[in-house]
Amino acid sequence: MSDHTRYQDDIGAYLLGALNDLERQAFERHIARCGECQEELERLRPAADALPGSVEQVQPPERLKASLMEVVEREAARGEQPAARRVRERPRLRFNRPLAIAAVLLIGLVVGFAVAQLGGEDDTRTLAATVDRAMPQAGGTLHVAGDDATLRLHDMPDLGATRVYQVWLQHGDHLVPARTFEVGAGGAGRVELPDVRDADGVYVTREPRGGAQVPSEDPIVSVPL
Amino acid sequence: MAHDIRDLADEEVMQLVQKGDPRAFELLYDRHGGAAFSLAYRMVGKQAPAEDVVQEAFLSIWRSRLRYDATRGSVRTWVLGIVHNRGIDALRRSTVHDRRRETFDGVEERFEARERTDVEVARREEARSVRGALDTLPVEQRQTIELAYFGGFTHNQIAELLDEPIGTVKGRMRLGLDKMRRQLVGGVA
Repeated sequence: MSDHTRYQDDIGAYLLGALNDLERQAFERHIARCGECQEELERLRPAADALPGSVEQVQPPERLKASLMEVVEREAARGEQPAARRVRERPRLRFNRPLAIAAVLLIGLVVGFAVAQLGGEDDTRTLAATVDRAMPQAGGTLHVAGDDATLRLHDMPDLGATRVYQVWLQHGDHLVPARTFEVGAGGAGRVELPDVRDADGVYVTREPRGGAQVPSEDPIVSVPL
Repeated sequence: MAHDIRDLADEEVMQLVQKGDPRAFELLYDRHGGAAFSLAYRMVGKQAPAEDVVQEAFLSIWRSRLRYDATRGSVRTWVLGIVHNRGIDALRRSTVHDRRRETFDGVEERFEARERTDVEVARREEARSVRGALDTLPVEQRQTIELAYFGGFTHNQIAELLDEPIGTVKGRMRLGLDKMRRQLVGGVA
């Protein structure tokens, strides 16, 4: 079976969200350069897009809107710009279809609700990191104690000789470069981060050795604060 | 602004949302929150997780509002696409056992009937049309599509659940969507 035939067979699964992360990424790379598959994808897309319309309509509880608007109004009042604008700028992912868009949003976006507060009291707390879905085994926590924090990650891929992981601190809509680090045995990495008191989030990207001043990719690890 | 924002089309409302207008975002939620919650509820099968999915999705929409591009599709499709992906994430965080039970046994919680509005009537018509298209599918194609889209299962998991080759499962997805598409546009299936 040729690659093209294989990806053609994946079109339905892709539209239904039934590919795993690696398969989805490979499919998106293929389709970005294959007009025939792109055409078939667009031909079938209306059927997949119609599926939400088939469900029985149920009324969301009022408290859902209330809690949502409370957050939105607070952020609007503070004049917060979408963090994604800075965090997510990269040219690589050009395939802007709903699933791809949503996948981007899922990876490391500032989503407080994806973050589990694991414990802690007073001015210490431990937050679960949201890790790129392409690294299903990886995970980690950010332990915040006063002004300082420790980011601990596990099962992160080794980046070889030319690249390192880099931490970024989000302040409003700015990302400030912080430390770079490598992972050891078992993909474990630990970074001490002084003075995170005013940070809105901690992120990690993969950058050339020596670090970067502007992130070159979407965050692969995210911990909104 | 002289006129009521409730008179604006979704794409115009989204332009206001992109400028950070919370009232426009509220209107966006009023228009699509019901469909979003219904989709999330259909996927996760219980009220509390469905609320989490919708809240996560709409906060993502608010915080990434600049990424919406009207040339790439309707606001409704964009919103529901994000909700769907949040739903898949929630399902894939749960165990296969729980998901299988929810998918095959249906849901336990019940809701009171909604107020009948024009929009509600239109939604019911839409639902009838799409369900009609789904009903024309051979049962194995429909089951495969529902397990994938609403159950959040990958094709590998579906192949395992149904004890079918992966190629067969993928084929059912594609053929089923093709037949649905033809039904929805009024063609001969």
